Amino acid sequence: MRIHQYERVWLLASMVLIVGFIATITYGAVGLGITMVDDRGATIAPDEINEDERFGDPRVEQVGDDEYEVYAVAMTFAFQPDPIEIPADSEVTFYVTSRDVIHSFYVVGTNTNTMVIPGEISVVTVEFDEPGEYGLICTEYCGAAHHEMEGQLAVLEDEEFDLTELEVEAPDEVEPDGEIEITATVTNGQLEAIEETVTVELGDETLEESVTVEGDESESVTLTVDAADLGEGDHDWTASAGDLTESGTVSVVEGSEDDTEGGDDA
Amino acid sequence: MPNGATFADAYPTQARHIRAAFWASFLSLGVGAFFGLIQALHRTDILRVIESQTYYTVLTAHGVFLVISFTIFFLVGVFQWAVTDSLERPPVDMRFTWGWYGLMSLGASLTAFAILAGFTDSIDVRANVLFTFYAPLQAHPLFYVGLVVFVVGTWLAGADWFRSWLAWKGDNPGERIPLPTFMVLTTMIMWYISSIGVAVAILAFILPWSLELTGSLNPTLTRTLFWYFGHPVVYFWLLPAYLLWYILLPKLAGGRLFSDPLARVVFILFVLLSTPVGIHHQYLDPGISEGFKFIAMTNTMFLLLPSLLTAFTIIASMEHGARQRGGEGYFNWLTALPWRDPAFTGMALAGMVFAFGGFTGIVNAGMNINYLVHNTLWVPGHIHTQVGTAAALTFMAGAYWLVPQLTGNRLVGRGLALVQVVLWFVGIVFMTNSMYRGGLVGIPRRTAEPQYEGFEYEVAAGSVGELNAQLAIGGTILFVSAMLFLALMVLTAFNGGTEPIDDGSIPPALSGPEDSPAVLDNLKLWVAIAAVLVVIAYSFPLASIVSRGGLFGPDIGPIPVAIDAASTVARTALEAVSAVVR
Amino acid sequence: MSNVARQEDPASVERIEHDEFDPVGTLALIAFYFAVLVLLWLFTYFVEFLGNVPTPVVVA
Repeated sequence: MRIHQYERVWLLASMVLIVGFIATITYGAVGLGITMVDDRGATIAPDEINEDERFGDPRVEQVGDDEYEVYAVAMTFAFQPDPIEIPADSEVTFYVTSRDVIHSFYVVGTNTNTMVIPGEISVVTVEFDEPGEYGLICTEYCGAAHHEMEGQLAVLEDEEFDLTELEVEAPDEVEPDGEIEITATVTNGQLEAIEETVTVELGDETLEESVTVEGDESESVTLTVDAADLGEGDHDWTASAGDLTESGTVSVVEGSEDDTEGGDDA
Repeated sequence: MPNGATFADAYPTQARHIRAAFWASFLSLGVGAFFGLIQALHRTDILRVIESQTYYTVLTAHGVFLVISFTIFFLVGVFQWAVTDSLERPPVDMRFTWGWYGLMSLGASLTAFAILAGFTDSIDVRANVLFTFYAPLQAHPLFYVGLVVFVVGTWLAGADWFRSWLAWKGDNPGERIPLPTFMVLTTMIMWYISSIGVAVAILAFILPWSLELTGSLNPTLTRTLFWYFGHPVVYFWLLPAYLLWYILLPKLAGGRLFSDPLARVVFILFVLLSTPVGIHHQYLDPGISEGFKFIAMTNTMFLLLPSLLTAFTIIASMEHGARQRGGEGYFNWLTALPWRDPAFTGMALAGMVFAFGGFTGIVNAGMNINYLVHNTLWVPGHIHTQVGTAAALTFMAGAYWLVPQLTGNRLVGRGLALVQVVLWFVGIVFMTNSMYRGGLVGIPRRTAEPQYEGFEYEVAAGSVGELNAQLAIGGTILFVSAMLFLALMVLTAFNGGTEPIDDGSIPPALSGPEDSPAVLDNLKLWVAIAAVLVVIAYSFPLASIVSRGGLFGPDIGPIPVAIDAASTVARTALEAVSAVVR
Repeated sequence: MSNVARQEDPASVERIEHDEFDPVGTLALIAFYFAVLVLLWLFTYFVEFLGNVPTPVVVA
């Protein structure tokens, strides 16, 4: 075959280019440890999501000293949880699946970017060094309101970050001769123990108690007041732990049904 | 072809047929370009004449009209011209030729109807699924049926050209395949191999599912089958541009093709490597192992080779023309090229844009760097430099030479035509500059409103406002350019009583086919090798995807695949029966 | 235009054949292209991409 000398030179140069490109990518993968989204996540059918231990309750979980896992669900046209809060200087693994069509999970302006396909779980591990606020968007067309699908990713200072939750159980109505029991439960989602001062107020009564909650445990504090001391009518209560606060109202009424209903989660 | 005669004189019936293909193509270009203008103004929030949810109907139409209808109707016209002209014989049976044109037109009309019906609520038909129609987004069945009919039309077109070639071969035993026909046949081989993927995706999974014959499907599987087809389809758009660069551009430059053998090698490389690369569109997909992605990447990188070789051959052919016209020096010869000829200048500018777009394609192909650009505006930037300019601008420039040959009329407005191709170049530079830079700061593609509440894009140099302005200006210039092109085409068609300034003859290559081994023309051999490469690249990924998610969806239990499929079909049949009974 | 010229006065046009044609201009242009590709690639990979942290990494 007749090939001009210059063309041979260019053929060689082209091969050098191609091999150079492949070498760069390989260096990124092997030398720098950049890894692709792949098949390491299990499969999950969209109709299994609600019963799933991880995705049934989309959340952030601490799994190691500075290691966190985020179980996130994408759906038309939102992400769960939203916002996602994680501490700075941590290694975060996102597990993302879809409830319906194909979405994506893209932390805007970063390389944290993956497709989200129903039936599959995308797994991506990244390190967030600095605190900051990021936009989280879906970049795969997913329907008429695709452009409204956005969430927030907040990387918080270590001291601002916690996975502490406050849950309060209090009755709505109590007979005048009954007792009012307000139970505040502090749950520590992190691995290290935390110290919290729990305060429960009802009328003039105040209970303040310091509790130590072990990692992945919860502690409860209960304030008990005689309804007779408060008298008939509506009485406001508040419960707080750290910067979390819950409040509600209990009514002391004749002939009421004593149904207890928990307060909202923190 | 007799010397001095136009194609229209020598083959009047065929010229009529090719003109029909071109008109279908140009109609699609006009509509698609109009939708493009609406998008450019809408997503930059400069002018919003539609609701944001309607944007996706517009976007679907823009994609399908331009990359399916405009490109493919044009290329079947070019291919018909190339085969007829280089074999010096008309198709064996012109009724068959009109037949596949009719099928393509029918398919395109059905799909167009399904998409455009989305603009009105009075017809209950929608297909807002974009050109990629990723399930589980679902379009009206007509959308898929139209696509299938259209693709079958192209298959028959290929069969027609193979038939012409076989008839020619019978009359010319032992002769080398003329280069234009060689290019058409190899491109069609690539097309046959790759379009099987989309055919299976639609016929086996998406169409039955959209007709509610099957209850579910495996989105990763249909997506993978789409990209099995989705990357080679870009070469289906591009190779006719290559054909024009190899066949026409040297002549327009006043020279001759530098090397026929290397042109053949290039097209064979495309046959071999175009298909086993599609997974590079799925680098960020879950459910596909990194190893498969790496294999797709190496294949893709080697696919650079034919394009890099083309760059050399084409530039050398132009240089040959320039030297014959008295060009001197290392770079000064460039000034000796016929820059006042719109056909030449359009193709040369298209090639220049393609060279830069090639770089952005390397970034897309680079596995881990895909995290940077995946689904950002960078990607449509790449598409618009490649199919939107390398192919589209070459087609338009080619039309300035071809349409006079096909009509026997002189091109109207040669000066305006030059303005048109330069406008396109300027428009694409503005628009894609904005798209590439916007992509790097994370502005997403395929969205009606890339303005979000929770964050701002961090543009290091410039601002989002400036990027938006460039995109809108670029898009507007492109629209004006497209309209100007169409106007010149219509005027040329009615410019009777004139004759083209060029005689339509193509000079032989400097280094002809006799300088290459005959094995290059052994098409069966290349088909076999291509098939093996496809099997190597795709059998394991497909098997893995099916074993993970099932043939028909992720909610199917861990039963072996073969039984799985059968039982699903049986279950579906039962469901269908019980639905009827109820 | 070239064709017009050739038809009018074919003798005035130079005829250059393959063996006597060394496309030095092409070599120069394409060498420039090679350099541009390498520089753009290095910039895009090492500045744009690696600077766009955080990037997915191997789980320890």
